[in-house]
Amino acid sequence: MFHWLEKNPFFFSVGVFVVIAFAGLVEIVPSFAEAARPIVGLKPYSVLELAGKEVYKKDHCIACHSQLIRPFKAETDRYGQYSVSGEYAYDRPFLWGSKRTGPDLHRIGNYRTTDWHENHMWEPEELVAGSIMPAYKHHFTNIADIETAYAEAVTVKEVFNTPYGDEIKAGEEAWNAYKPQVLEEAKAIAVDMKHPEVHEALKKGEVPEIVALIAYLNRLK
Amino acid sequence: MQSNASLEYDYSVAKLFTYTTILFGFLGMLIGTLIASQLAFPELNYMFGEYGTFSRLRPLHTNIVIFGFTLSGVFATFYYVGQRVLKVSMAESPFLMTIGKIHFWLYFVGALVGVITLAMGFSASKEYAELEWPIDVVIVIVWVLWGVSIFGLIGIRREKALYISLWYYIACFLGIAMLYLFNNMEVPTYFVAGGIGSVMHSVSMYSGTNDALVQWWYGHNAVAFGFTVPIVAMVYYYLPKESGQAVYSYKLSLLSFWGLMFVYLWAGSHHLLWSTVPDWMQTMGSIFSVVLILPSWGSAINMLLTMKGEWNQLTENPLIKFMVLASTFYMLSTLEGPIQAIKSVNAIAHFTDWIPGHVHDGTLGWVSFMIMAALFHMAPRMFKREIFSKKLMETQFWLQTTAVVLYFTSMWIAGITQGMMWRAVDEYGNLMYSFIDTVTVLHPYYAIRALAGLLYLTGFVMFAYNMYKTITASKRLEEEPQFRSPMAA
Amino acid sequence: MNSMVIKALGVSGLLIVATLAMVLSMDIDLNDPINAMTILGAIVIATATFGVTSKYISQMKTDKAEGELTDENWDGIGEYKNELPSGWAYTFLGTLIYTVWYFLIGFPLNAYSQIGEYNEEVKAYHKKFEEVHKTSDIQTLQSMGQSIFLVQCAPCHGNTGDGLNGKAHDFSKRMSKEQVLHVINNGQNQLGYPMGEMPAGMAMGADAEAIAVYVAGGMKGEQPAAYGVCAGCHGADGQGMGGMAPSIAMYDEVLVGHVLEHGKKGVIGKMPSFKTRMTPIQEKALTVYIQSLTM
Ligand code: HEC
Ligand code: HEC
Ligand code: HEC
Ligand code: HEM
Ligand code: HEM
Ligand SMILES: [Ca+2]
Ligand SMILES: [Ca+2]
Ligand SMILES: [Cu+2]
Repeated sequence: MFHWLEKNPFFFSVGVFVVIAFAGLVEIVPSFAEAARPIVGLKPYSVLELAGKEVYKKDHCIACHSQLIRPFKAETDRYGQYSVSGEYAYDRPFLWGSKRTGPDLHRIGNYRTTDWHENHMWEPEELVAGSIMPAYKHHFTNIADIETAYAEAVTVKEVFNTPYGDEIKAGEEAWNAYKPQVLEEAKAIAVDMKHPEVHEALKKGEVPEIVALIAYLNRLK
Repeated sequence: MQSNASLEYDYSVAKLFTYTTILFGFLGMLIGTLIASQLAFPELNYMFGEYGTFSRLRPLHTNIVIFGFTLSGVFATFYYVGQRVLKVSMAESPFLMTIGKIHFWLYFVGALVGVITLAMGFSASKEYAELEWPIDVVIVIVWVLWGVSIFGLIGIRREKALYISLWYYIACFLGIAMLYLFNNMEVPTYFVAGGIGSVMHSVSMYSGTNDALVQWWYGHNAVAFGFTVPIVAMVYYYLPKESGQAVYSYKLSLLSFWGLMFVYLWAGSHHLLWSTVPDWMQTMGSIFSVVLILPSWGSAINMLLTMKGEWNQLTENPLIKFMVLASTFYMLSTLEGPIQAIKSVNAIAHFTDWIPGHVHDGTLGWVSFMIMAALFHMAPRMFKREIFSKKLMETQFWLQTTAVVLYFTSMWIAGITQGMMWRAVDEYGNLMYSFIDTVTVLHPYYAIRALAGLLYLTGFVMFAYNMYKTITASKRLEEEPQFRSPMAA
Repeated sequence: MNSMVIKALGVSGLLIVATLAMVLSMDIDLNDPINAMTILGAIVIATATFGVTSKYISQMKTDKAEGELTDENWDGIGEYKNELPSGWAYTFLGTLIYTVWYFLIGFPLNAYSQIGEYNEEVKAYHKKFEEVHKTSDIQTLQSMGQSIFLVQCAPCHGNTGDGLNGKAHDFSKRMSKEQVLHVINNGQNQLGYPMGEMPAGMAMGADAEAIAVYVAGGMKGEQPAAYGVCAGCHGADGQGMGGMAPSIAMYDEVLVGHVLEHGKKGVIGKMPSFKTRMTPIQEKALTVYIQSLTM
């Protein structure tokens, strides 16, 4: 019977496909809807936080940091309450990571603060002797792409019904109207920051990557 | 035994992919060595400004070695093996010839654009699926073209039954097609948001736990259908061919193939143990991983048994050495993986350096060894010259074997130590180590790994040089060698 | 067993010994079931892989290839009709049995819960923790405090509690002059003491300066007259009148407790709240440890 298959490439290929396809169906489909449901009270990321998440993606912090606290005493002591599915409902993509060269960050907002991050991202070694994390000085001069973050908010609202307010809508005009709100949020964070270039950029109506990134990190709770 | 003398195979596409295999192999391992060094010596992060940090380079490493080096190797060997086991020449079909050429050039351009965009920071940040949507589109087209080549060649075949290698190439094609499509379902934001923001940017169709499920269903099986299945295809052709031995057991081939196909896809959730995916799914991932040992070992054992009684070949022919060692490392990684998939062990192993250790048993010891051996075997046939230097090949073999052993033992010890230190509690029940303690303790192991990288890279440069000399300057061959590849001392 | 297999097992033995040596040098408890399973797993990987492959490789030396060939032949490659190697087949069967056992009996698909397991684990820890604590004296508390401090607080306060060049509070003394002045000038209302808010501007200019020097100096020497206004809340000794206001003379348990609960934003920066993350015993231990840092 198998030998027959090997002489009939079409049925052979169909056979292979069926055998490999159905495990995925059985494992993934059943709890698909369930797993996407947000926990009560979960708010979508603000536009500034989304811009920060873009920085996190762009510089690939996931290479060293996880965002998943497993249910072990040792992890909940170190990082806080274990993670639950509904907390990730607005994470596109999920950023659990697969390597902890550095510590988990899923609840970093609970036990680190803006000024600490500012110092740390500038020069990790100054705060944590022996740190092998790179210094991300370019976050202080690069400007965050808040427009794309806004576009992301519009997209997830339109396509996936993520609950954003009415003021988030498609088009250049809506974005221009919304932008000041993002700048306000950025300024509120920068109050706790020292670097002069950060404040200069904000005065010009631009958000440095570091401010967006810290907004995102503070949000991780 | 029939002779193929009457048939003139056309290797032009195989040759092109051979060049990119070497190019991307070098580039990927160079970056691999650099990032390995950065973890040992963080000062090395600042060589190219923001483009030089570990985190920007790591996805470059993985993407170049997977989609550049490995995939090129798969295509190169397919365009070689496919013709020969089907007994048709590409030259017989101008259509397939054209498809093959377009396949190559589109692939090459796509790969270059992929590398550049990743370096610039365009990344979806899903492991092994970092490339943004425009490049996904190119990859899908490239894949379809490959499919046309595979089934086109099969369509005009003279050999009725498909050889084992082809089973695996077909599975590779189908598996990756399905996985890649589903995992890269994403919505470009520029269009939905009415023309604002970056055109490159997209959001995943899935969120949170669902995204994780789809991602690791993909990620695990990308390993399966990228680092395992097509490499098994290679070993089933090149080892018997180079040694002149018949494959040990058809039954074992058969059971291993269908077993692998059936079991592999269930195991993906071993990347999500102790996470927020439902318990039953984790259980499935864990137990099917253990079952997976046997279909995996089946192929390797089949190859080792094929060499039964051929001790002299093992000692005299470095190409056989490469392939026997590759099979051995295949067995190592396919036992290590399942053990790491046991929930208790995974509680330690996950997130630690033991995982990259496991990865490089597979990629350095198995994937790269096999691809280099395949390229060596093809060179005298494609370029009609003998291999330039056997001595160089021997040196390369020992250098790289040492490198793999250093890599996996250092990361093995590092990972187990790190995982246990994270959990360790003092006499009062409080955490014993701060996080940074668990980082600084790894320094010597990171340094050993960096050294291993350097050794392996040096070996690869020897390989590239040997290939270059073979292609350009070695003694010409009058006749195609039937089995053992001719090489100068 | 032939010599190649023995050599291979020797090599895997070496790897295991190196692993154990490293792990034990870090004080790891190998009786912990998870650690034990991991080491067992590592032993299986090393011995099975190297043992089995070297067995097959040594067959290249000793055996001969034989069997009946099938009719097919591809590019010169033939194929034997040999039976499955029996070791392989039986082990395959074994893994299938393992699967069924795991699935139905070991960790039944419908009954096992990892969160349930976690809850058990935490309960066991708490019990152990309380038992240890029953006998804790100052020395024990201090060393317990130190280990908590190194994990939770050192990233900001530094391993020695010196505040990392002014990036966080420095525990080598109670407060710096700048910190005290800042509070006098701006008031403060964050720590949730019964007294509530401390108003701004209760002392000015030279008076404020003198008070700040005095408080930052550890409240030693002659007390400036202007300190009188402070004494109303903090007490003449600066101890905070039994928890009504913070002690500005020393780190007491009340202060550490309030800071951990509420966090604090001051002239140096912002300290996050550790609410719910510390048990009372841990707070006490931290206090004792911090006190030991102050000269
Ligand atoms: C080469 C690995 C590496 C990369 C890449 C990396 N980190 Fe880290 N990170 C570390 C290490 C190691 C630590 C622990 C030592 C320390 O605090 O510096 C750390 C610590 C941290 C912490 C403090 C966590 C804690 O609990 O104390 C934060 C926050 C952080 N990193 C954020 C980031 C962000 C954001 C990025 C990307 C822009 C990033 N890291 C990239 C290795 C890395
Ligand atoms: C009305 C009562 C009152 C008076 C008078 C008062 N304080 Fe306070 N003080 C408080 C309270 C209550 C707090 C805690 C505020 C908080 O919750 O942040 C405090 C906090 C402080 C702190 C910060 C302690 C810490 O650990 O953060 C300092 C320093 C301090 N007082 C110094 C003084 C000095 C010096 C004076 C005199 C000039 C003074 N206080 C007068 C009530 C008072
Ligand atoms: C993210 C950084 C951070 C962490 C983590 C942190 N602290 Fe702090 N802590 C600070 C900063 C900043 C200050 C100084 C605030 C100021 O006065 O400006 C401070 C101040 C303090 C003070 C003095 C408050 C006062 O008013 O006198 C105490 C006590 C303290 N921390 C204890 C701890 C303990 C105990 C831990 C660990 C369990 C801890 N801290 C963890 C940042 C941190
Ligand atoms: C029987 C076969 C195998 C099984 C059951 C298996 C199992 C595993 C497990 C359990 C992990 C760790 C997941 C985690 O905790 O993070 C892992 C990671 C990995 N394995 Fe395997 N493995 C197998 C074979 C291989 C082979 C042959 C390769 C080839 C190179 C390979 C490549 C990888 C890679 C690249 C990762 C890293 C994934 C990541 O980025 O997290 N595996 N494997
Ligand atoms: C000179 C040789 C190489 C060196 C020094 C090297 C080094 C590294 C390093 C340092 C990492 C990051 C590990 C971490 O984040 O902790 C890595 C990851 C990885 N490498 Fe390599 N590498 C080499 C060759 C290869 C090759 C040839 C392949 C594939 C064929 C490969 C595939 C991978 C993969 C899949 C990962 C991701 C692993 C994971 O996420 O767990 N590497 N490599
Ligand atoms: Ca990974
Ligand atoms: Ca993609
Ligand atoms: Cu996997």
